[in-house]
Amino acid sequence: MNGSQHRLVQVPPGVQCFVGAEARRRRRIEETVVSVFEGWDYEEIIPPLFDYADVFASPGLAARTYSFVGRDGSLLALRPDFTSLLAKIAAGRLADRPAPIRLYYSGEVLRYEPPQAGRQSELFQMGLEHLGGQSRSADAEILAVAAECLESLGIAEWVLALGHVGAFHGLVRALGLGEAAADLVGQRVEAKDADGVRAALAAARASGPAADALVRLSAMAGDRASLAEAAAVLACCPESAAAVAELQEVADALVAAGLGDRVAIDLGEVRGLDYYTGLVFRVYARGLGFEVGGGGRYDTLLARFGRPMPAVGFMLGLDRVALLLDRQQPGAAEAAARAERVEGDGLGSTLAHARSRRTAGARVRFAAGRGDSARRPR
Amino acid sequence: MSLTIALSKGKLLAGSESLFRRAGLPFPDDPGRKLVVALDGLRFLFVKDMDVPTYVEYGVADCGIAGRDVLLEMASDVYEPLDLGFGRCRLVVARPRGQEKDARSSALRVATKYPRVAAAHFLERGVSVEVVRLAGSVELAPGLGLSDCIVDVVETGRTLAENGLAVVEEVASSTARLVVNRASYHARRDEVMRLVAALTAAVGTMVGTPQ
Repeated sequence: MNGSQHRLVQVPPGVQCFVGAEARRRRRIEETVVSVFEGWDYEEIIPPLFDYADVFASPGLAARTYSFVGRDGSLLALRPDFTSLLAKIAAGRLADRPAPIRLYYSGEVLRYEPPQAGRQSELFQMGLEHLGGQSRSADAEILAVAAECLESLGIAEWVLALGHVGAFHGLVRALGLGEAAADLVGQRVEAKDADGVRAALAAARASGPAADALVRLSAMAGDRASLAEAAAVLACCPESAAAVAELQEVADALVAAGLGDRVAIDLGEVRGLDYYTGLVFRVYARGLGFEVGGGGRYDTLLARFGRPMPAVGFMLGLDRVALLLDRQQPGAAEAAARAERVEGDGLGSTLAHARSRRTAGARVRFAAGRGDSARRPR
Repeated sequence: MSLTIALSKGKLLAGSESLFRRAGLPFPDDPGRKLVVALDGLRFLFVKDMDVPTYVEYGVADCGIAGRDVLLEMASDVYEPLDLGFGRCRLVVARPRGQEKDARSSALRVATKYPRVAAAHFLERGVSVEVVRLAGSVELAPGLGLSDCIVDVVETGRTLAENGLAVVEEVASSTARLVVNRASYHARRDEVMRLVAALTAAVGTMVGTPQ
């Protein structure tokens, strides 16, 4: 390689490619997940790769969005997220469709990552959105779909950690915390740093039962029994108590459907995309330090696009599922079927033979003619 | 499979050992040069102090012990359920004695091992900074003309004084924290909670003991 060729094969940070067994494994994962989505009667949607930047105007993602100026001067962005895009389409192109609308997608989102982080900029997400309809029923449905995806993928030892942002927001509103104080408290709740929550509340001069409940919120995590404890502690705040009651209803439904062992509770999970309004959940599995996927309810997002209706969605990260399966089932990647070598001297007759073998379903390696490199003397 | 715990061989090692012993938990007697030690159902990783949150964030370790100073700098996405009370120190801004006040409006040059914390501290206050990242001996920088001030951790302040520096501002106070990987917290909940409970009880008995 000379100097300029060397520069041309360099890759920019954040991109990756997949060949052979890795690509095959990703395709299998995608097929498995998509067939579960189809099985629950979700329809595929293939949305555009870019849209007006306004569509994705979520503060949490703004700094990580690749945006560019179109020829007409409009600000465009490569999709950093599917949910906003699907909400827009449901309110626009699909405005005539009656709710509930069930849609699924499978594709890449692009997110800018700071150069030194070395993280992937291109993430492959497989997810669905349930727009409109009865909320508790939709919550239970998408959790069941998520569970079936994990079962179908053959993932072992996974849990659905359920939370509800209303528990946190109810307490913050009851205390009348300002935005800066709420951010700081939220960040400490997420870190499960009870001392940090206490200090942040003291700095904001917040006290009383709602403040005490906030300090305890970070540790309200565990099995389903922790919901009963949460209900008692949060009884002081109607909005938070209602959130726990909603979560209880969904958790009970999962138990009745045989998923009780898979349910974990985490009311300290208050982060996530800023459009979440209710149920939030993450999928964790042994062997991977990050969540495999997650989702939540976003009842106010569609109003932004002029078609107010409740909605809930979830997604699995293909890269993470692949990594998890590699960890849980090392060496399980299936090899490609062996190809049958179809050779001969006459190009036309060999091609005809290869086509007939293809019709019979064989995987063929076409090798016609004397000039074929495999038969050339060394 | 046993829980994996990331510890630093640095200044938090003695406090970690004492805490684990008080909690009735196993702890390697003398890890020596070994970086991975398995002992009575726990696996210990000995890594650089700045790397502990990274090992835990990526799930290579389920838990770890890291100073809050390190957690602030690394900004890792980990749970911090317990303040362990030892390893108390402060992250401060220090300047040469006699030059505590800075009257200039141009960018301040700051030498530090904590570039993220230092930049955030000044930028939030509307002060432009040029951060010079160093791996150690930060207190030499102002005297040698490398920087106007430093952001560093102090325990007693003696090293600062010996280098002609005075603390002008506290950025944060720090103690050792138990950190837990987010997936382990949920997927290995029983084991993690047993460890948290044992350490919580031991921290309770440490109140008032010398650091």
